[in-house]
Amino acid sequence: MKEFSRLIIALTLIAAIAGGILAAVESMTREPIAEQRRLQMLRALSAVLPEFDNSPDSDTTTIVTGSDRQGREVETVFYRGRKEEQLVGTAFRVVAPDGYSGNIAVMVGIRPDHSVHAIEILTHAETPGLGDKISEPWYKALFVDKALDSNDWRVKKDGGEFDQLTGATISARAVVGAVRTGLELYREHEDKIIAQGVTNEPGN
Amino acid sequence: MSLATDFNRGIWKENAVFKLLLGLCPVLAVTTSAENGLGMGLATAFVLVCSNAVVALFRHLIPAKVRIPCFILIIASFVTVVQLVMEAYAYDLFQALGIFIPLIVCNCLILGRAEAFASKHPVSHAVADGLGMGAGFTLVLFILGGIRELFGAGEFLGFSIFGAGYQPVILMILPPGAFITLGLLLALMNKVEKR
Repeated sequence: MKEFSRLIIALTLIAAIAGGILAAVESMTREPIAEQRRLQMLRALSAVLPEFDNSPDSDTTTIVTGSDRQGREVETVFYRGRKEEQLVGTAFRVVAPDGYSGNIAVMVGIRPDHSVHAIEILTHAETPGLGDKISEPWYKALFVDKALDSNDWRVKKDGGEFDQLTGATISARAVVGAVRTGLELYREHEDKIIAQGVTNEPGN
Repeated sequence: MSLATDFNRGIWKENAVFKLLLGLCPVLAVTTSAENGLGMGLATAFVLVCSNAVVALFRHLIPAKVRIPCFILIIASFVTVVQLVMEAYAYDLFQALGIFIPLIVCNCLILGRAEAFASKHPVSHAVADGLGMGAGFTLVLFILGGIRELFGAGEFLGFSIFGAGYQPVILMILPPGAFITLGLLLALMNKVEKR
C-alpha cells in the first residue's frame, strides 16, 4: 500500500508540474499565435480582394450556408472589403471535399458584380509536382474575371473551359468546383452578405 | 567515460538513423527539403536534450514501475512547448512540418534515450548524450532533405542550383524518394565502415 501511494504521488506531481509549465508557455504564446493567424488571414484577404481601406477581418458577417452529413448547420464567414465605405469585394473560404488527397481550402474573392477578383489556395495536400500546381500563380490567374453565367465551369476534359493540369485532373476539377460553389453561394446569399452591420466579433 | 565520448557517440558510432534505425517516421516524412529536415531535426534535438536533462535530474525520484508514463509525460510537455513556440515565432516552418511536430512525442529515439541512458546517468552526461544524439539526428535529416530537395526540386535551401531548364525528379520528393535515398545512404555508410 505504501509503495502504491508512492507511485500515485510521483505521477501526480510530475503531471502537475508539467501542467503548470504548459499553462505558463501557453499564456506567453497566446498573443503571438493569434497575431500570426490574423496576419495569415489578412495576407489571404489582400490577395483575393480588390484594394480596400477597411479591415475586412473585422467587417464580417456569418451566414448559415448549408448543412453537413450529420445535419448540423455549416456557417460561412464572409469578409467584406470596402474602399471609401463602398463595398468592393467579398471574400470567403470554400472547401473542396473532392481533392486527390484530402480537402482543398480555397479563398475566393468576389466583386459586387458577381465576378471573381482572385482566388487563393489556403491549404491542400495534393501531389507535389502534379496536383500542387493548383497553388501556382498562373493557375490561380485562370479564375480572374470569370463569372457564373459567362463561363463554363468545367475542366476542358469534361467539356468546359478550364485547364485540367496534366496528370492532375482531379485536383483541377475540385478547385473549379469549389470556386463555382463559391459563386453560387454568393448569388444565393447576396442580400444578407452586403447588408450593413457586423454579425460577429472580429477574428471569429 | 567523458562528456565528449557521450556526445560523439550519437554523431556516428550510435547514430540514431544510420546505426540504430530509430525515429524513421519523421526522417522519411518531412525531409522534402533541407530546411524542413533542419527544422524537424532541431525541434527533435531540443526535446531530446530537455527530456534527457529532466529525466536524469529526477532519476532517483521516479519509481521504476511508473517510469515510462513519467518519461512520456515529460517528453509530451516539451513537445507541446516546442509546438506553441514554433507556431508563435516560426509560423511558416510550423505550417510546413504540420502534424509531425506533435508526433515527436512518439519518436522512439527520445523515449529510447530516456530509458537507456538518461535514467541511469547524471544530468551532465545525459545532456551531452542528448546533444550528440540530437546533432546526429539533425545531420541525417539535413543531408537527406538536401539530397531530395536538390534532385526533386533542383534547389538547395531554396536557391536554384541546376537553373530553370532542370526537369525535377518528382519521385525524389514523394515518399518513395525518401526510402530510396535513405537506402542508398545506408549502403554508402556501411561501405565506408567496412574500409
